[in-house]
Amino acid sequence: MQLEKFTYDNKIVRNFGIATLVWGIIGMTVGLLAAMQLFKPAMNMGSQYTTFGRIRPLHTNAVIFAFVGNAIFMGVYYSLQRLLKTRMFSDVLSKIHFWGWQLIILSAVITLPLGFTTSHEYAELEWPIDIAITIIWVVFGVNMFGTIFKRRERHLYVAIWFYIATFVTIAVLHIVNSFELPISFMKSYYVYAGVQDALVQWWYGHNAVAFFLTTPYLGMMYYFLPKMAGRPVYSYKLSILHFWSLIFIYIWAGPHHLLYTSLPGWAQSLGVAFSIMLIAPSWGGMINGLLTLRGAWDKVREDVTLKFMVVALTAYGMATFEGPLLSLKQINGVAHFTDWIVAHVHVGALGWNGFLTFGVLYWLIPRIYKTELYSKKLAGFHFWIGTLGILFYAVPMYWAGFTQGLMWKEFTPEGLLKYPNFLATTLQIIPMHILRSIGGALYLIGVIAMTYNLAKTMLGAKLLANEPAEAMPLTKIIVETSPADKAWHRVLERKPMKFMVLSLIIILIGGMVEMMPTFTIQSNVPTIASVKPYSALELQGRDLYIREGCVNCHSQTVRPFRSETERYGEYSKAGEFVYDHPFLWGSKRTGPDLHRIGGKYSDAWHYNHLVDPVSMSPGSIMPPYAWLIEQKLDITTTASKIRAMQTLGVPYPDGYDKRANDDLKVQAEKIALDLKQNNIKVKSDREIIAIIAYLQRLGTDIKANKETIPSNQ
Amino acid sequence: MFNQIKDLAGGEIYLITSLLMFMVFFVIVGVYLLKLSKKHIEVMSEIPLQENQPNTHEED
Repeated sequence: MQLEKFTYDNKIVRNFGIATLVWGIIGMTVGLLAAMQLFKPAMNMGSQYTTFGRIRPLHTNAVIFAFVGNAIFMGVYYSLQRLLKTRMFSDVLSKIHFWGWQLIILSAVITLPLGFTTSHEYAELEWPIDIAITIIWVVFGVNMFGTIFKRRERHLYVAIWFYIATFVTIAVLHIVNSFELPISFMKSYYVYAGVQDALVQWWYGHNAVAFFLTTPYLGMMYYFLPKMAGRPVYSYKLSILHFWSLIFIYIWAGPHHLLYTSLPGWAQSLGVAFSIMLIAPSWGGMINGLLTLRGAWDKVREDVTLKFMVVALTAYGMATFEGPLLSLKQINGVAHFTDWIVAHVHVGALGWNGFLTFGVLYWLIPRIYKTELYSKKLAGFHFWIGTLGILFYAVPMYWAGFTQGLMWKEFTPEGLLKYPNFLATTLQIIPMHILRSIGGALYLIGVIAMTYNLAKTMLGAKLLANEPAEAMPLTKIIVETSPADKAWHRVLERKPMKFMVLSLIIILIGGMVEMMPTFTIQSNVPTIASVKPYSALELQGRDLYIREGCVNCHSQTVRPFRSETERYGEYSKAGEFVYDHPFLWGSKRTGPDLHRIGGKYSDAWHYNHLVDPVSMSPGSIMPPYAWLIEQKLDITTTASKIRAMQTLGVPYPDGYDKRANDDLKVQAEKIALDLKQNNIKVKSDREIIAIIAYLQRLGTDIKANKETIPSNQ
Repeated sequence: MFNQIKDLAGGEIYLITSLLMFMVFFVIVGVYLLKLSKKHIEVMSEIPLQENQPNTHEED
């Protein structure tokens, strides 16, 4: 048989590499801005487009989907071609994939500051962008499977299994977590409500970490680490076990994000059990990576790419050890809603994703340019300042998390909360937040140094856009096989479609077992008779709450701890959220929980607090929302919103969409009148009236009538 | 906690089946790993390192 000559497409790899660098700098700069806003409210810049609530989702989306996303595609496009000994299936699809992905990111950069958000974390983009993501993801999938089909290597190396699992699972996660009912071009409501919506969101959120930030990176680790070290992976058997157990277990662990909420207890317990089991495959993978370097540690001393890989693997090990710990209810009770979680996430993001990306970039760019890195010294500087940055980021955040988590729970000997004013706990950790942003700045300086270094490398040489290669074609017929060859996995390794279907079945099991009972068994979400749908004004106010990203700092779920019922009031019940499309429980308490805020303060207090938070809470770090008194509430959308809610099962009376605005105006007038009596002159058609109406409604349904709560709540 | 598991009105089946599936799954992967041939493992783990040479190996 003749050797076939072909070329590898290096240009697409380079393009994704440049996109990684550019979006990395943008995403991290936005992160630094958000970090500074938390100790210097003036950094919110007095504009509605730059407040923390809108900037924070921009940061998370930019670093996850733009920085990490482009890095994934860079790594996949480089390794896939070489592992399969073929060029990518279609250059056109590669280009569509590249430009489509950049356009999606650009649309996020525009729409998130404008306040177009679904409020689901890491899935904030509105429905038209969701559709675009689906299309581009399919383009990526077709291109990947096309390449797999025309391969010249019979067996699929373990890295490719991780890529296949990534593709199929992200597709499922994205579709299930994007079931939205559009009401206008950039506004939609999730079809799920309350507890069910929370379960879907955190099944998604947790597995976005698993299948966007972990599995593709593990695939890259299994390819690039042996290449860098010049030796095969420590144990290929372990990598098989790693793969199957990781994808099987990960998918179950989502409910650990909802411990002590009103999610049914059995689902919480299931989440905890699987989270603890997760340590086994995670550490199996880390050990497999680190042991690949056995006997090559002398190389680590000299080779900066390997240094980055070692820190990346160590960070992966730390984050995946901490994850199961955080899922233990006792630890979660202190850590959840605090900066501890932020520290945990950033050990993974800065250490594992960031450093692995840097290692791959330093290794790959000189290779596709057939040159040497511009400055090894500068790369060494990047390594040290980056490592220092991670430490300066993580240590203060852990400190802040422990401090605040414990302060929230501290009682005086008389049995009263020691820090009844939430703000006191916020002010206590301000120095830690300052230190954290120094850590972030150090890390960013490292990334800028790397960008300069790689730009110099690229400018000093010429890209080998089409790298020549040769390989034997695959024979179609497999001659007589030995009995051992019939092992199912060896068959699977040759049949990518069957492999994909099996991965799909495995990841669907966990999600379905957790979701089906919560969706179908009535007793899991007991209804409460006194819980009524939001009034039209409150519904509009709720959408403003979503637009401003209040959920990024304020939770809406009181956990059943004495320290929380003392501070906030009655703990939250599943039945209270049945009309919440979407749920707004949040995941972080930079400010206090708001589920029982209704009726706690006067309308005038809310008005003053929104316009100038420090006037009501001296020292508050909440940005002022002055535009809420200038902007008129858009009531043209009321009818379509009511109709959408009716479609989703919210029991507004028939034909209410036509009368809703009359009721809205009556309620608005009432609030404006109340404000007037307190010497506040504001027109009743302003946005602030709606948001006050919503805040005053929050959590009041069961206050009115406690005996309507079912006994099992 | 266990009360909520007990009050599933038929939903216990989900928990029991999931645990069973979980066990079965690991037994299958375990058995498979024990049965893997050494030669195959070697060939597989060498794949990333030999990409720039023609694929001369044909283990099956």
